[in-house]
Amino acid sequence: MNEKEFGEKLKPWLERSAHSLGQVQETRLKAARLRALDAYREPVRLFGLVPMSAGTAKTIQYSFVQRALLFLPLAALLVALAIQSFPDSADPGDLDAMLLTQELPPDAYLDPDFRAWLSKQQP
Amino acid sequence: MAQQAAALIAALALALLLLAAPAARAYDPNTPSVPWSQLSPQEQRVLGPVAPDWDRMPGFQQQRLRSSARRYPSLQPIQRERFENRLRDWTAMTPEQRRAARETFQGFHRLPPEKQHELRERWLRERGGGRGRPPGR
Repeated sequence: MNEKEFGEKLKPWLERSAHSLGQVQETRLKAARLRALDAYREPVRLFGLVPMSAGTAKTIQYSFVQRALLFLPLAALLVALAIQSFPDSADPGDLDAMLLTQELPPDAYLDPDFRAWLSKQQP
Repeated sequence: MAQQAAALIAALALALLLLAAPAARAYDPNTPSVPWSQLSPQEQRVLGPVAPDWDRMPGFQQQRLRSSARRYPSLQPIQRERFENRLRDWTAMTPEQRRAARETFQGFHRLPPEKQHELRERWLRERGGGRGRPPGR
């Protein structure tokens, strides 16, 4: 009996047993199968240097992404604080000072014709 | 995972609030008024053209003017002259007019320099009648 014939004889027994499995065992078997498949893959080199199994490399990669996501809220806060700390963007009086000291007088910006010309230039 | 998502949303919301804070502060109608006599001598000198109206101005307008006046020492002589000449008319505008002027000014400054030049020259030629040009130009 060769390997293929043995497999075909064994298959109905395995399928019958599989139907009687509970949810927990099924999940554990799936996990074990995935681990076995990971271990079966060609080994890879991390950063082209350290040889390791493909499964371990995947785990490391996943954990890096997860850690980066954990730091995302902190990064968002730091960016917001940094933007706020620029005095020029936070000081509303700067805009008025600029407006008052340009070549055009402030009433130009209220002139309907000027606003019409401006709106034609804007995309 | 749900906790991480909640933390992320909370942090982003806080960041947005922080970013919106300066704009909110700029229009706070509850800003207390400051009497003219409490301004520093330098502020009184720069804001001199609006001294007669100062004590009648709402607090947020005073705050904004004081903030503008802080830029005065760093201005060029021609800019100082414009600031002094235009301050009174500027404060006489309604808050809506000032807001509209700021919006148009910001839109104007987003244009490429050559377009700004074109529009500026056109307005000065057709509508300015010399108003925008300072003496000595």
